Amino acid sequence: MSAATAARTTAAPTIEFEGVSFAYPDGTQALDGLDLRIEPGETVAIVGQNGSGKSTLVKHLNGLLRPTAGRVLMDGEDVRAVHVARLAARVGLAFQNPDRQLCAGSVKAEIEFGPRNLGIRGAELDERVKAALDAVGLAGEVDTNPYDMGYSRRKLLAIASVLAMLTPILILDEPTTGQDARGVARVGSVVAAAAAAGRTVIAVSHDMRFAAECFGRVVVMRDGSVALDGAPAEVFAEPHWPELRAANLEPPLPAVAGARLGLGSTPTDATLVAALVELAPERG
Amino acid sequence: MERSPLVPDPGSAASSPGLPRNLGLPEYVTRRPSGFYRTLNPATKLAIAALEVVTVFLVPGWLGPIAVLLVLAVVAAASHTARALAVIGLAASPLVISIMVVNLFILPGAVDPIFRAGPIAPTWSGLWFGLLTSTRLLVFSSAVALAYVTTPVDDLLADMSRRGLGRRGVFVVGAAVQMVPRTIERVGEIMDAQRARGMDTEGRIWRRARAIVPLAAPVVFGALTEVEERTMALEARAFTAPGRQTQLRVPADRSRDRALRWAALLALAGVVVLRLSGRVG
Ligand SMILES: Nc1ncnc2c1ncn2[C@@H]1O[C@H](COP(=O)(O)OP(=O)(O)OP(=O)(O)O)[C@@H](O)[C@H]1O
Ligand SMILES: [Mg+2]
Repeated sequence: MSAATAARTTAAPTIEFEGVSFAYPDGTQALDGLDLRIEPGETVAIVGQNGSGKSTLVKHLNGLLRPTAGRVLMDGEDVRAVHVARLAARVGLAFQNPDRQLCAGSVKAEIEFGPRNLGIRGAELDERVKAALDAVGLAGEVDTNPYDMGYSRRKLLAIASVLAMLTPILILDEPTTGQDARGVARVGSVVAAAAAAGRTVIAVSHDMRFAAECFGRVVVMRDGSVALDGAPAEVFAEPHWPELRAANLEPPLPAVAGARLGLGSTPTDATLVAALVELAPERG
Repeated sequence: MERSPLVPDPGSAASSPGLPRNLGLPEYVTRRPSGFYRTLNPATKLAIAALEVVTVFLVPGWLGPIAVLLVLAVVAAASHTARALAVIGLAASPLVISIMVVNLFILPGAVDPIFRAGPIAPTWSGLWFGLLTSTRLLVFSSAVALAYVTTPVDDLLADMSRRGLGRRGVFVVGAAVQMVPRTIERVGEIMDAQRARGMDTEGRIWRRARAIVPLAAPVVFGALTEVEERTMALEARAFTAPGRQTQLRVPADRSRDRALRWAALLALAGVVVLRLSGRVG
């Protein structure tokens, strides 16, 4: 990434949800007095059972949905006043369903769509396309028609098409759905690279392992508000399991193993291994 | 053995009157429409709508549209569909306005100006012709819409399959009818996704027009993929297996339906014959 683009992505705003409620026109109360603050550069996994309001929450961040009560602020500015197309320069959102956003006849054109709308042209555009394709492992598919690709690769393409916008805030709605182990690892490295560049990364996921391994913070949603919020080691600690299970979530395997072995909260493979090594240092 | 919660408890099912709610049957089997017009057989409603449409367009002058409008108003009030029809009328208003404007100012051969202001000269005959055309359009779309909003799609399909349309035919009609609301929903979501990537769909008209282009591909491809996937899902569930299918629910076809249907079809034939023989108009 060039120095110029790196500089542009460092200015991530602080995000604040203040008592946000949202009801769909049919009356479904999807968000219910939600409070949440996300600092610049944080990596946040939003988890929760189907219908708990995760997708609704992230659509408030780029103004696609406007709260029926409460406010969404970015660096203190109410996003209600800002056009979606303007917010798109700051917030990139890859939707849950790739088929409802891919619109071009080739992979290259698809990735160019967002940056072009932001006014990017020429060498910088080419550079962004290449970087985004490399990031998701689709470099060999520049001229493929997106509709000839399988679901998992369309999903990766949708992520790449948002990555190329280099927005200070990157949001991925269920990026790992339908991905094999390698695909999940790819998405994980996308998250890590974006975080290293100072971007705020928010991902909605049903994959507790992915949430624990790749994010610094986990937010558990239940019935349209925040039920648990903290580092993976806090949220997945044994005392919270009843609450997790009430939200139809299972703590990741290393967390369960660590608790059973009396090693404390070990939500990731690495923390579990470290705790085990400490337990039996002579073998490690 | 553990009882799965999806399997109904036979005891409770037998004790409730009529069709038990939790028999694990789909909602369209257990739900019942009510009211005279709503409970008409779908084929009857189609016959009535056909008569109305033919009357609107074949009976010349104001007689056809006004007669049908009166019938529609009564039925809509009785079946509580006036609101839905009003929404459809509103949706048609851009078309109505353009019809009015075009006819008012440039009806060919009109020579009876209401007033003259330089090159602008609206005519009486233009006004009448515009009003008549708009009324026909509105009455026509209301007649079709009334049948549509009062008939659950599943009822229409179940009735057609009982009348021997065949499974493939039913599927094609069903896919076509259901395409409309699904497409509307899909367009909304696709537009959201593109606004999220900086496509400006607000503001000037040419900007919005430009936004149509990237819409077309996902709408069309998405619809095709969906139909393909649904076809395969149906095959996987033995849709084309030989032998008779069991119908879980068939909309009633009573003697009043048959009487109404024959009356509507006879009247329709009558309008066509009178029109062709030149006796009307
Ligand atoms: N367009 C809509 N109209 C009406 N209700 C909706 C709409 N979209 C979502 N809902 C409802 O709002 C609630 C929250 O939906 P949302 O999509 O935010 O949940 P989610 O947590 O993303 O679920 P999932 O894990 O299934 O993606 C659900 O009850 C859902 O049925
Ligand atoms: Mg969702």
